[in-house]
Amino acid sequence: MSLITQTAARTILPAIVLAGAAALVMLLGQPFHERVAYVFFTNLIIVLGLQVFMGNSNVANLGHIAFAGIAGYAVAILYTPVALKAALIPGAPFGLDNVALGLVPAILVALAITLLVALLSGLALSRLTGVAATIGTMALLVIVHVVLVNWVELTRGPRAFYGVPVIFTLPWAVGAAVIAVYIAKLFRESQDGIQLRATGDNLLAAKAMGVDVERVRLKAWILGAFLCGTGGILFTLFNGTIAPNSFYFSQTFLTIAMLILGGMRSVSGAITGSIVVAVGFEVFRSLENGPVILGIDLPEAFGLTGFFLGAVIVLSLTFRPMGLMGNDEWEDVWPALRARLAGRREGRP
Amino acid sequence: MDYFLQQTLNALSIGGEYALLALGLAIVFSVMGLVNFAHGELITLGGYAMYFTLLFAGPPVALLIPVCILGAMLAAVAFDKVAFRPVRNAPPTTGLLTAFGVSIIIQNILVIFVATRARPVPTPDWMRGNFMVGELSIPVLQVLEFAVTCLALAGLLLLLNRTVVGLAMRAAAKDFVAVRMVGIKANRVIMTAFAVSGVLAGIAAVFIISRRGAVDPFMGFIPLLKAFVACVLGGFGSLLGALVGGIVLGCVEVFLQVVLPPDIAGYRDAFVFLLVGLVLVLKPEGLVGKRAELGDKEE
Repeated sequence: MSLITQTAARTILPAIVLAGAAALVMLLGQPFHERVAYVFFTNLIIVLGLQVFMGNSNVANLGHIAFAGIAGYAVAILYTPVALKAALIPGAPFGLDNVALGLVPAILVALAITLLVALLSGLALSRLTGVAATIGTMALLVIVHVVLVNWVELTRGPRAFYGVPVIFTLPWAVGAAVIAVYIAKLFRESQDGIQLRATGDNLLAAKAMGVDVERVRLKAWILGAFLCGTGGILFTLFNGTIAPNSFYFSQTFLTIAMLILGGMRSVSGAITGSIVVAVGFEVFRSLENGPVILGIDLPEAFGLTGFFLGAVIVLSLTFRPMGLMGNDEWEDVWPALRARLAGRREGRP
Repeated sequence: MDYFLQQTLNALSIGGEYALLALGLAIVFSVMGLVNFAHGELITLGGYAMYFTLLFAGPPVALLIPVCILGAMLAAVAFDKVAFRPVRNAPPTTGLLTAFGVSIIIQNILVIFVATRARPVPTPDWMRGNFMVGELSIPVLQVLEFAVTCLALAGLLLLLNRTVVGLAMRAAAKDFVAVRMVGIKANRVIMTAFAVSGVLAGIAAVFIISRRGAVDPFMGFIPLLKAFVACVLGGFGSLLGALVGGIVLGCVEVFLQVVLPPDIAGYRDAFVFLLVGLVLVLKPEGLVGKRAELGDKEE
């Protein structure tokens, strides 16, 4: 079986889980739940984008949200109707207040811009390793944020950019997420992915075996940026309103916590972590508002969700540094378990 | 000329503040390879130590200064004991992300139990005035800041050069195993490194808070970013580099503020971080560092 069909087979299980969850929400849930589920799927796509680079290369990346921001703002500026833009960003640079593209061209141009930024930043960042690389990615996030906040004529600055047409619904997000899972799995098992994982495990050994470290890192960086950009576009065309703070450190915390808890080394880890953290996040969000549980009126406690994310990061790194999934994909769990049980029966350790 | 002098003083005082913070980051990094993302929270916790002391005890305002420094120092030692010890032997990325998590936790604990809104903290009157030198009116705070930075540096040099634990810290930066082999407890060296970084952050916090006049849960974030920049400019982990990087960053910021036309002055931080990227790629050992031969530690 070729890698392409093999990966497709390995995507069936996550596809069923994700589509099943979405179907349940659509059948049983209220519009509010559907909204939460949609945002979950956009976050999942971003986490998968993060996994492609960070998980395989073992280089902590704090800059991935920058790509969601670039793509989100690009599609918002390109796709919002001219009449609305005349009020929002009159006299925008490049005459952008007088032009509005169709949906597909707007998305394609937004992705092209994102990929261009990814290529330029990746050429520099792929040369860095360890702490320097992490600080470099953080520098990227800060730079993009500063530009979004200060380029008032184009982005409305710190104020929200509203009125972006709402296009997508939950099924679209599910479809995109399943494709993203497929892409991330395909990359992980491809030659580039295996080489990149080797550089993450032991850089010197990988170099000695002839791995072109910068090239495989650059490929993963660009692919990850593509997925993060897709997530940003999906979010923007659903939410209708974005602001520079939608794409800054709090979003970074959330997605990093998801990836770390699940285990960044496997695609299934990204999915698992996204699900667990998203559920926990919603629980803590409802606790934040001071609900009445079992007749006890709890006080309002803003900050609980942030506390939860921080605790997830610290506790999982302390007690389970490889995350819930470790090196395994979902389909690896059962054979691994069976092998271990069989080994125990035969008296092997 | 007056203008030039005033801006120079400005650059030196800001640069001194960045240098204090960057030195704290660099000491911890050089000893145990941890990029302490929670360093900014030391400033915040020092500030809240002042706020709570004032709220519950109401001492003279000048007494709040040692409270702030002590608070930051204790917080640093506590971070080490509670959060960083379990990940001490993990890869650097794990430590960095753990510190990142600690920082979020501290911020949100303060949001939950105090408030998101800023709380006022007074500073002694004598820190706020100006004094005259000839025609020039010079803020006391800026002179004080630069002077205290120099004093703190002198103290740090004494500690590093004249005490056993200081020697052990310098040695640990090169080879921790060898330090332990001669019978020095690793915990003590690392705890001292954290305590020193806390004291330096506490001193910086006094000045940061006297400028702002208030504390809030997220106030440590921007200073932390600046300290990172200073460390990168000087070469991460080098103490001399952190000092030079801090002063250079202060000068660059003031220079950009003066030179940039008002309509792009908002992009100042983007330029600063672009500079960071350039240094990382073109001169990863920093402006004053030398390329070290790391052998099998090379990443």
